[in-house]
Amino acid sequence: MVLRSLRVLRAQAGASLSGLPAALATGSGLVLRSLSTDVFQNLALEDWIHDNVDLQSRNILLLWRNSSAVVVGRHQNPWQECDLRLMRRSGVPVARRRSGGGTVFHDPGNLNLTFFTSRKNYDRSRNLRVVTGALKALRPGINVQATDRFDILLDGHYKISGTAAKLGRTAAYHHCTLLCSANRRLLSSLLRPTCPGIHSNATASLPSPVQNLLDHDPSLTPDSILHQLAEQYLTEFGVRGGRVVPVQPADEQTFGGIDRSVAALRSWDWTHGRTPKFSVDTTLELTDRAGSEISTATVHLEVKGGRVERCELAVPPDWLPGGPCMELASLLVGARFCPSETAPIAAAFLRSKPRNAGEETRLGNLCENIVALM
Amino acid sequence: MAMRVALRCVSANFSHKQARFSQLAQISASLQLRRRDFTRTLSTTSRLSTALKFTDKHEWVQVDGKVGTVGISNFAQEALGDVVYCGLPEIGQKLEHMEEFGALESVKAASELYSPLTGEVTDVNTDLADNPSLVNKACYTEGWLIKMTIENPAELDGLMDDAAYEKFIKSLE
Repeated sequence: MVLRSLRVLRAQAGASLSGLPAALATGSGLVLRSLSTDVFQNLALEDWIHDNVDLQSRNILLLWRNSSAVVVGRHQNPWQECDLRLMRRSGVPVARRRSGGGTVFHDPGNLNLTFFTSRKNYDRSRNLRVVTGALKALRPGINVQATDRFDILLDGHYKISGTAAKLGRTAAYHHCTLLCSANRRLLSSLLRPTCPGIHSNATASLPSPVQNLLDHDPSLTPDSILHQLAEQYLTEFGVRGGRVVPVQPADEQTFGGIDRSVAALRSWDWTHGRTPKFSVDTTLELTDRAGSEISTATVHLEVKGGRVERCELAVPPDWLPGGPCMELASLLVGARFCPSETAPIAAAFLRSKPRNAGEETRLGNLCENIVALM
Repeated sequence: MAMRVALRCVSANFSHKQARFSQLAQISASLQLRRRDFTRTLSTTSRLSTALKFTDKHEWVQVDGKVGTVGISNFAQEALGDVVYCGLPEIGQKLEHMEEFGALESVKAASELYSPLTGEVTDVNTDLADNPSLVNKACYTEGWLIKMTIENPAELDGLMDDAAYEKFIKSLE
């Protein structure tokens, strides 16, 4: 029955799935497993299902995993939540979800589950019971419990799963992570602020001690967990003999319009530009070429829509003259708060006129310090 | 206008089966505070402003001349729980009827907002940036979300009045 549904799904070439056989459309569940490990493709697949599938009488579970990525909540500040400089160096992208909640680290050792329902049948506790029920079915002695914040704790202390949700007009989805064998060292090194002194009304994450299920019980395997989750879901949502259907979100023929959605999720304007207005107040440690002399500058930045709206630099006058510092500050206004845009502005500023070697070195160092905040 | 909205709020709450007494107490306190302005408010706005109209997505709109004030209903704020962030549009943004215009975040869930009318955003409640819980505390008064122009007044006819909305909520229970 489920295989048949996939054939219909493909045949519809991007149209709504509402034309599925009536047997499947009433009170039935369906488990999909994404074949992609691209965070943007998987987030776009979630949106596609939410926007295009009739979820009024059908529930869907989507299982997915990503290559390393940091995923921030809809109303969060990536500069505050993660070390963007380290992520650029490590090739780890930052993505912004459409759901609420806090920042999470994804890698192949983390399993993601998305529960799609009608808005009316949205029930996070029921969904999390599927997860805890599956783990208890695999290991009857395991101590896992969902909290009132919809986290799942192992042994009453270690977080193994975090939750977020999006409620749309008539449909809703609830997704959660499940740490099986994620790289915890990378996780804790990436989930640190990019720069100090950020002030914002953005929703902040609550850091929690985390644990991997496989570290707790090495006899578990990601495949056995995935299989049991699907089994538990199909039982809970009343489908007998169902199986997991693989889907490829990059398949534009099946998921019509998904390419545009992937591009929008990948765009800087969404990942960074949608950050709630914030300010940065911090000090910059300034040095000379030899590093023998040091001084301190203070900087105040206001960033709206990801762009510098205001920039104030206070540099001791015995270190650098005020004129060039003010000029630099004014040149940064309007620029995106990111090195790929501010570094060329700073470089052009340094080239703009001949200066004596000492001033040039100190201005160069000031520019480096500012760009390093991003 | 604030007076007018506060009055509507009281009536909406009294007719609600599960009226929250704390909220009623808070509203009556705000009524007393505003009593001084009563005469002036009544004479300047009573002919222009209209009663609240509701969408089936639990947004309300109150028309005052050519501008509609938009918020979410008491039923909606109770269902959401504690609002921790209000994602609202910029002034000048054009909205289509039933277009998504932002989201309210509560308990890790982003609930999308839908425009009850076609029009342009003329004002955004900036108090919500520092104090998003106003949506919970005073959803019909200080917790309003946006103000917008009304391009197509006929759209108002498709919205529910107080009594129809009460009936609609009961049908959901």
